[in-house]
Amino acid sequence: MDFSEAQKRICRFIKEYVENAGAKGIVLGLSGGIDSATIAALSSLAVGGDNVLALMLPEKENFNQKDIDDAKVVADKFKLQTQICDISSVLEYFYKGIPVFEPKDKLCKGNIKARTRMIYLYYYGNKLNRIVCGSSDKSETMMGYFTKWGDAAADITPIMDLYKTQVRKLAVHLGIPEELALKPSTPALWPNQTAENELGIKYETLDLILYGLERFMATEEIANQLIIPKLIVEKVKTRWLANEHKRRNPIAPKMGYRTVGNDFRLPRHTY
Amino acid sequence: MILGSQDIRIESGNDMKDKIKLALAQISSKRENKEANLQKIEALTFKAKEQGADLAIFPEMSLTGYVVRDQFYELAETIPGPTVERVEALAKKTGMHVIFGMPELSEKTRATVFNTAVFVGPEGLIGKYRKMYLPTHSVFEEKRYFRPGYQTAAFQTDLGNIGLCICYDLFFPEVLRLIRLKGAQLIVCISASPSVRRSYFEILTCARALENTAYLAYVNLAGVEDGLQFWGGSRLVSPTGDVLAKAKYDEEDFVTCEVDYSDLRTAETFIPTLRDLRPELFDKLKEYSERL
Repeated sequence: MDFSEAQKRICRFIKEYVENAGAKGIVLGLSGGIDSATIAALSSLAVGGDNVLALMLPEKENFNQKDIDDAKVVADKFKLQTQICDISSVLEYFYKGIPVFEPKDKLCKGNIKARTRMIYLYYYGNKLNRIVCGSSDKSETMMGYFTKWGDAAADITPIMDLYKTQVRKLAVHLGIPEELALKPSTPALWPNQTAENELGIKYETLDLILYGLERFMATEEIANQLIIPKLIVEKVKTRWLANEHKRRNPIAPKMGYRTVGNDFRLPRHTY
Repeated sequence: MILGSQDIRIESGNDMKDKIKLALAQISSKRENKEANLQKIEALTFKAKEQGADLAIFPEMSLTGYVVRDQFYELAETIPGPTVERVEALAKKTGMHVIFGMPELSEKTRATVFNTAVFVGPEGLIGKYRKMYLPTHSVFEEKRYFRPGYQTAAFQTDLGNIGLCICYDLFFPEVLRLIRLKGAQLIVCISASPSVRRSYFEILTCARALENTAYLAYVNLAGVEDGLQFWGGSRLVSPTGDVLAKAKYDEEDFVTCEVDYSDLRTAETFIPTLRDLRPELFDKLKEYSERL
């Protein structure tokens, strides 16, 4: 991939969307991870750092000073506006307010965190007339490795068509420190969570499998080319297909002449 | 015997029956699960045999489900191919004729797919029909995946001359007229029609049978695929447009019914549409349709 060309195209996409929407800039969550650092950099290059508000949304259970420091490095380098909001107190209210809340159920609990961050981002977006910029990449999106209506909620997703390994290279190209670009990805929903552990596969392998699936290659052919067991490819494929429901609008029974999310094929306007 | 794409196996028709019994197997297919659907086709073909049927008819894309989108490329098979060979074995074992729908992969290319109706008899593959009219509007995106067929299909068999068409073809009277003029006495239409279009198909099935004075067996999918609900309502329509048998709406059903070819003469004398055909109008149709 030509990363200069990728940068140019994505920056143009962001700039035009913000301008056409009549928005005053962008708001995004800056976690200290590679994806959010990359969209922060691209947003700054597209519309100027003054017009990009980076929200840092830590919480006490999973607090990591290194992530905050990394986020600040990116914010300084790309001259972003920043705001730190500790979401711990809000999370506590959710935990106390849900009658069936079970602290040991870390997935449900973690999803509350991702969705709470979404509420903060959209509050600032509404309040300041800014576009919410999402940080989903192609690897995580294809695998369904995200929280529905949580970290995947956004108005634009500039790097959703780039695999994680491509995002890392683009990040380095943009001047993001290599140390940050190569550190293990984590949704940071609970302590010691890493994406590769949960997915059970290295991104270097996963992305090549997904690349093959994207191009309609048979599982056997992918396995042969990568010299890996076919079972690994099949597992990835099964997960990819099983999560289509997370990538699409809520489903409705077809009742009318044209149906929202189905056969209304309208141009997308941003004004 | 290997059959080319346009080759057909013609049954002698010497033992042609005056009456045949159909089984309208209105199933809900399990999407992307060919094995599960084949097992259902096998079980219902045996059931049809037990109930004295000669021909079991399954809906459009009954092998794979209809809303499988990009998965069509992976699910498609050549004809002959593993699925057709299995249905051939089924037909041979039961002595039944079977019609079902599947995505057909071209033998000559790696990714050219057709929406195809397959017709198998006890002696093997009788023939196939590739859908000519591919809906690509509203909820339909068939032209995105399929190449259209260029041939209508009517096969001389031991069960009479039987023509094939698929779903949206019904909206084009010239398709069924051509099938009828090729000699079809029974036209089989397999379908994957969603509920919002039920009234159209209920009108068109009767109209196409009546205007051609031919039997028309319509077999639709049932169940819901990705929010798209198929209305079922499979039926046999007489050459005078009467609904002789009808399956339930919306849910899976299995209906047997009888085709009595001796009724064709009565219908053709009462409503002599074939006698009264005006061939010169077809030239005009061609001329004017090119000028739309």
